[in-house]
Amino acid sequence: MRSDYQIILDLIPQNSKVLDIGCSDGELISLLANKQVSAQGVELNQEKVISCLGKGLDVIHGDINLMVEDFPYNQFDYCILTQTIQAVQKPDVLLNTLKKIGKNIIVSFNNSARLSKVTRFLLSGSFDSLLKKADSDQWYNTDYIHPCSIKDFKKLAKDLNLKIISTFDVVNQKKFIDGKIPSNLFCKEVLFLLTNE
Amino acid sequence: MRNITENPDYPGYLLKCNESLHLDSGKFINEFQIAYQTYGKLNEQKDNAILICHALTGDQFPAEESPITKKNGWWDLMVGPDRPIDTNKYFVICSNVLGGCVGTTGPNDINPETSKIYGMDFPTITIRDMVKVQKILIDELKIKKLLSVIGGSMGAMQVLQWAATYPDSVKSIISIAGSLKHSAQNIAFDEAGRQSIMLDPSWHNGHYIEKNEKPENGLSVARMIAHITYLSEKAFQNKFGRNLQEKKDLSFGFGIDFQVESYLRYQGRAFVDRFDANSYLYMTRAMDYFDVSEEIHLNQEKIINNEIRFLVLSFTSDWLFPTRESKEIVSLLNSIGSNVSFAEVVSDRGHDSFLLDEPQFFRVSEGFLKGIKK
Repeated sequence: MRSDYQIILDLIPQNSKVLDIGCSDGELISLLANKQVSAQGVELNQEKVISCLGKGLDVIHGDINLMVEDFPYNQFDYCILTQTIQAVQKPDVLLNTLKKIGKNIIVSFNNSARLSKVTRFLLSGSFDSLLKKADSDQWYNTDYIHPCSIKDFKKLAKDLNLKIISTFDVVNQKKFIDGKIPSNLFCKEVLFLLTNE
Repeated sequence: MRNITENPDYPGYLLKCNESLHLDSGKFINEFQIAYQTYGKLNEQKDNAILICHALTGDQFPAEESPITKKNGWWDLMVGPDRPIDTNKYFVICSNVLGGCVGTTGPNDINPETSKIYGMDFPTITIRDMVKVQKILIDELKIKKLLSVIGGSMGAMQVLQWAATYPDSVKSIISIAGSLKHSAQNIAFDEAGRQSIMLDPSWHNGHYIEKNEKPENGLSVARMIAHITYLSEKAFQNKFGRNLQEKKDLSFGFGIDFQVESYLRYQGRAFVDRFDANSYLYMTRAMDYFDVSEEIHLNQEKIINNEIRFLVLSFTSDWLFPTRESKEIVSLLNSIGSNVSFAEVVSDRGHDSFLLDEPQFFRVSEGFLKGIKK
């Protein structure tokens, strides 16, 4: 299981209502459903939608940049964005919408400012390494249109009046509370638990 | 008293009900019958039954060869052995709707009160009335819970009505190219079609059978108007362009110059042979009156407690029941906290896509049915 999924499974209590944005073939919502969590996914790729349906999962087919506004307000206890925020056209607009449709927001992403990545960027002089999601990605065709650091995201949360409840260093499964965050230089993957309250 | 017999006029069966049916209009029909066909086998637990709801001009013969057109049934690609709605696995039921003209009681039947043909004395019916009659059929077949209720267009209206009115009796729902309520534009098209029928002198205020006539011109124009709404601009362009019909030059007259004109006239004429004008009036009216949102809200608790699973499907080029309207269904179902899935299928063939060979559409439907636990 992906390490960020393990953290999410531990975070979300039974009988919660969850929306997983960019749910792919439904691995996370399927895990959540086994835990008596009512989970629904949003997915753009139709093949992945079919795969979710075949597993008996609830999934909405569509572009998250356009369709999250179709969800009624205050519907979900948790909205989840794993490894997706950097590929969203307007992360601030999406987070603002999620604030309205759900109580809590979970966001995980790879820290673009970590030392190893920045060093590679400096040495190679190419943005490809900084913006890479898959191996075939280059700066002009990557989905990662918004590289962001842990510091960047902390600031965005503050600007959007989202309170940070806790943060996690995903690889080391380490939790940070009371406003502390994982190291912007060394943490590879981070997970934020935010609330709109 | 209710009893089931073989249908003497068509393949399939007749459920005859010697009782009065209370309609939404407040009126009654005292004696009615339901013509239906089934495919596949009902299992011992009676938990593999799927009800198919047909669209405006459909009938109870979605699969195999249609006894009416002598061509493949209207949903032959969707329903049958090894099809997405696999009749090796499921017991499929399809009935002609109330007000229809293929065996179920409608305006051209004899009114038992007067021993004359109903004509316009037939009471106005609603989608909920149609579904009420289907529920009677399902009860008679001793099926407590339908595995799924599936339909497109007017069929989608019935499907949503099933969830709203009989949430205890359905496990899942597939609404295809549907809406929560008929839009103003759709009512407008319906009205143009009805006026075309009613302004035909052969309509005789609905009593054309007694006069041994048929409002053929009116019904055929109504069908031409409707047929345009079932396709898309691109579908027309791809199929016909500005090609001329069996000629090299314009005729500078008002005969058939363009292929598209020939096609539309043919569609109109062919329709007259298989469909009844009064049924067309009653059924389009039922669609106009449809608005199921309130009843879904009213019964939301039952919908949730029964854990009904919904799949809402739309097609990108459908402008009669556009994706936006399917999303409104999703939005409403989400707001009551129900289990809903949605998919939009890319197709440039307009509203009619749900009747055509659209592999993605079939795969989505099949996948969803696979995920329904018995």
